[in-house]
Amino acid sequence: MKRRSRPTALAAFAAAALLALTACSGSEDGADADGKTTLTFLSWTGEEQMEQVIDAFEEAHPEIAVETSYSPPVAEYIQALQTRVLSGTAPDVFLIAAENKTNLIDGEHVVDISGEDFVENVAPFNLETYGRDGAYYGLSLSSWAAGYLYNKELLAEVGYDAVPETWDEFLEMCAKLQDAGITPFLESVDQMPTTISAWIGAKNDGMDPSLDDQIFSGESTFAEQWMPELEEYNRVFEEGLMSPDVVGLDGDQVRDEFANERVAVINGGPWYIGALREANPDLDFEFSLVPAVDGGTPFAAGAASPGYAINSKADEDKQEAAKTFLRWLATPEAVELFQSLTNDVTVTSDFEPPVDPAFEPMVPSIREGKLYLPMIAWQRAEDVLNVEAVAQIQRMIRGEIEPEQVAEALDTKLAAS
Amino acid sequence: MTTLSTRPTAGLRTSGTRAWLSRPSGGWRQSAANKAFLLPAIAVFVFLFIIPLGQTLWWSFTDFTGYSPEAAFVGLANYRVIVTDPSMLAGLAFTLLFGVGTTLLITLLAIPLAVQLNKAFRGRNLVRSIWFFPAIPSMAILGLVWRYILSPLESGALNTVLGKVGLGPVSWLSDPTLARLSVILVGVWAATGWHAVLYTAYLQSIPQEYYEVARIDGATPRQQFFGITLPLLTPAIVISTFLLMTGGLKVFDLPYTLTTGGPGFSTYTITQSIVVSGVGQGRYGLASALAVMFTLAVAALSFGQLWLTRLVEKRFA
Repeated sequence: MKRRSRPTALAAFAAAALLALTACSGSEDGADADGKTTLTFLSWTGEEQMEQVIDAFEEAHPEIAVETSYSPPVAEYIQALQTRVLSGTAPDVFLIAAENKTNLIDGEHVVDISGEDFVENVAPFNLETYGRDGAYYGLSLSSWAAGYLYNKELLAEVGYDAVPETWDEFLEMCAKLQDAGITPFLESVDQMPTTISAWIGAKNDGMDPSLDDQIFSGESTFAEQWMPELEEYNRVFEEGLMSPDVVGLDGDQVRDEFANERVAVINGGPWYIGALREANPDLDFEFSLVPAVDGGTPFAAGAASPGYAINSKADEDKQEAAKTFLRWLATPEAVELFQSLTNDVTVTSDFEPPVDPAFEPMVPSIREGKLYLPMIAWQRAEDVLNVEAVAQIQRMIRGEIEPEQVAEALDTKLAAS
Repeated sequence: MTTLSTRPTAGLRTSGTRAWLSRPSGGWRQSAANKAFLLPAIAVFVFLFIIPLGQTLWWSFTDFTGYSPEAAFVGLANYRVIVTDPSMLAGLAFTLLFGVGTTLLITLLAIPLAVQLNKAFRGRNLVRSIWFFPAIPSMAILGLVWRYILSPLESGALNTVLGKVGLGPVSWLSDPTLARLSVILVGVWAATGWHAVLYTAYLQSIPQEYYEVARIDGATPRQQFFGITLPLLTPAIVISTFLLMTGGLKVFDLPYTLTTGGPGFSTYTITQSIVVSGVGQGRYGLASALAVMFTLAVAALSFGQLWLTRLVEKRFA
């Protein structure tokens, strides 16, 4: 009898093993332990930096323990958070970003923090970026900006000490550089071009209702609002001052050309500084705002960094603990610690972040919120429009379509979304 | 030498076991026990394939965003978007081009390569290893490396070499046609060695006597290749082309890292559309519809290819 049951027993063992394997989902009840409230947190910032911030918080607030998990930005973070939101296991605190803000706000997954005292010292631009109709859903403590980086020595060879303030003058400088045998300008266009973002931002600055309010309400169109800027941008290719081959380059390749002093001006942000200093310690460079078009002012592309958000499905105690965490994150001590670990340009009124001297021309724009990034400013179908815009601008650069068709493609995409 | 038909002696087992095993199939209990061992595999298949497939089919008729389990039924709206969206149609076109192009080119290159690698020569194993090497790193890594090699700038690795021999820089990844060609050629470069090794394994199973008889009968090397080698390689061709076609149609990492789907949508793939629409844009309903259509297309192409290769196999059998 025992012998006969042996294969069956083995099969049962196999089935049990399978059940054990398939039942390996961990429990994450966040229950209080030793009188502490345990807060779950999905960090956007890497473990090396965030661990020190969390340690400092737990030291300041021993009644709260933070259970941190990490997921690298951007796509992986968005996917990880989305999966957890859908399965009802979202952390108590997470980051709201350009890529998920519409879905998180529409789905009422985030708590409105507009009435909290810890938002008072944060730049309105950052709060409004992750807000809607007067409500704020993310505590964004820093911003990033992108503009032009220029090689001072190469510009000096043609008599310039900085990037000119207008586009016409900039193109004139590019022509002089080209005549001197220097590649004047390279801009990576694997993302929305910095130049176009900055120009649309400059145009939008001070508009009421905003440029995007007009487009997304149907009052205006991309064709109306974007056409002059697209035409101006196309000039740099039509006049042969930038190679259409930029459509085959990514940001790192453009940066490497600049590091090797093979190009005078490129687009970029503070994330290039470390790599440039390491690759070429003798390189003398500085940032500048994007030259203005159409009587406007020089402007920067950029956006508020993702904001800390509180899970609306968390229970009351957790939400209170989460607010304590956010309140502490906005203190000058925490901001200083975070800034020293990440080098982000923070935007709280009670702490002045130190920055690399080359990046200083960009800091006022960041602190004043004079930044614009279409993907963040757009009110729906952000990524759909961004993918379409990048692809159509690349086609325009290759000469396959006219600027008008780029704008029309965006209007068509918006209408279909 | 021990033959495969040698059975273990019954004396090693107890009499009860012997009686139990002596039945042709071990009886119904044995049969049930055997089937029970399939349960884990069936469970995995059901949980990881059938249920997600069914769920994908359902989502394809909804406006599911991935953030809330609530999703409204939208009928065929997602399918209508796909067939009218130029970027998705461009993705479909390049995916087909990549799948068919790499399958044809790799097959045409791998068979002669395998014949050469099967010959005895000094350093044969080293040469085989060199050809096999590109199959080891992930396609994503290869894409990033080739992005630098094929940089359209004058300072790009390949353009620097061309410059040394007086040829101007070539817009490898910035011209739509050259970008498509570059992605396909890198795909061919990466997989030819692996498939040549597959063919080599089959070549080694062809009895040498066939070639000796053919030589005695005066057959030329060309006649030997088309009369003996190629027909006997047909099973390998079936497997190789099947793997290439299914893998080629599902390609994502190589074009994504090499060109990010550009310039424009020229190297955009269906899988990139699915990932971008689903994960990037929170349009899981649309991405699911795309996945359903793509699954059906891949199934139709794969079955069609299998049917065709079976015909060829029968012809040479």
